[in-house]
Amino acid sequence: MGLPIALDVMGGDFAPSEIIAGARRAKEELGLEVILVGLPDRMGDTTGFEVFACSEVIDMDDDPGVSVRKKKDSSLVRAAELVRDGKACAMVSAGNTGATMASALLRMGRLPGVVRPCIVTPVPNPGKNPTALVDAGANAECTPEMLVQFAKLACAYMNAHFQVATPSVGLLSIGEESSKGTPLVKETHELLRSDSTINFFGNVEGRDIIPSPVDVIVTDGFTGNVALKTIEGSLKYIFGEFVKAMGVDENTKKAGETLAPYLLPVMASLTPENHGGAMLLGLEGICIISHGSSNATAIMNALRVADEMDKAGVVNQMRLAIRPDQEG
Amino acid sequence: MTDSPLTRDAVAELVKTQLAEILEKSPSEIDLALSFADLGADSLALIELVEAIEEQLTPLVSEFHINDEDLEGLTTVQEAVDYVSAKLAA
Repeated sequence: MGLPIALDVMGGDFAPSEIIAGARRAKEELGLEVILVGLPDRMGDTTGFEVFACSEVIDMDDDPGVSVRKKKDSSLVRAAELVRDGKACAMVSAGNTGATMASALLRMGRLPGVVRPCIVTPVPNPGKNPTALVDAGANAECTPEMLVQFAKLACAYMNAHFQVATPSVGLLSIGEESSKGTPLVKETHELLRSDSTINFFGNVEGRDIIPSPVDVIVTDGFTGNVALKTIEGSLKYIFGEFVKAMGVDENTKKAGETLAPYLLPVMASLTPENHGGAMLLGLEGICIISHGSSNATAIMNALRVADEMDKAGVVNQMRLAIRPDQEG
Repeated sequence: MTDSPLTRDAVAELVKTQLAEILEKSPSEIDLALSFADLGADSLALIELVEAIEEQLTPLVSEFHINDEDLEGLTTVQEAVDYVSAKLAA
């Protein structure tokens, strides 16, 4: 039996009830062991779980760095410490993203050679493995060397999570030609092209994110986050309009009943909560960042991914991707 | 005012070494006159630096602590060295 997963039950719009409900489903449906980290008097029924009691909560609008230093007994900081101290194999939180990143970075530490950790988000790619979009928001300003590292870390993630041996890497730009894009994009293009350890596909555009011709799409955290939120918002709107159209009159209701068996699986495959959240790459431990609006299903899937990442040895794969001479 | 357990040069060396490690640079690249922004150190990197300095100095000065409120006023490496030196001498 491996180590349990540390779950920050105080983070998220529907915490702690939906977070604990997700932990219970992960335990019952997937057989995962979970440590609930939070304020005992706010958790409700925790029967069957190990509880790590703390006394503070980092709120969604708290400053990430300062809150981690000031709220040392918060659920987020304690969850990261459980991983650092070898008492948990991974941490999961749906709380303040910046503070989650700060907690994990300051408590677990960076892998040797990693300049900055980055966030990878699996973007649904119907009929195929998801595409790893990196950086999805950790670093608004990047250097070309950072983007090359992000690509290597995301390749290690794809290898560990989806057994893609040599993931193809695309660089997000405004045109396929290497002459297109900002100075950052053009310089990064040259570095990726000349790096023999990277299976570089070339530039990809925003329309190539879903569906995608590549396994990894690399970009800076500002662009990545804007792209991700644009996709989320667009899909939500389109699905909403479909559902509305199917209820206009008897004819559209019948059409809806006919189309539902075909559309519902597509909608399910594009729903973020089914994909287990984003992961922080480049650290000496596993940290899964779940959406702030996570429900029990999203948390269960985040815990599932945390477990899969641990079993796949993703940390060591990342270590080797950055420093091939180092075995953990 | 008390005797500082570290000279100003030693503090400068400590700050440069820790910052270099965090930014994956050589200590020789850390010029005291440079700003943290010029060196590519974001707010999280500064928090990493603060925690690393506190960890290194706590054995010399019990409970050595850098106030988070003071961080906003520190924009260059030299200012950080001056701040830590003053705290040690206080």
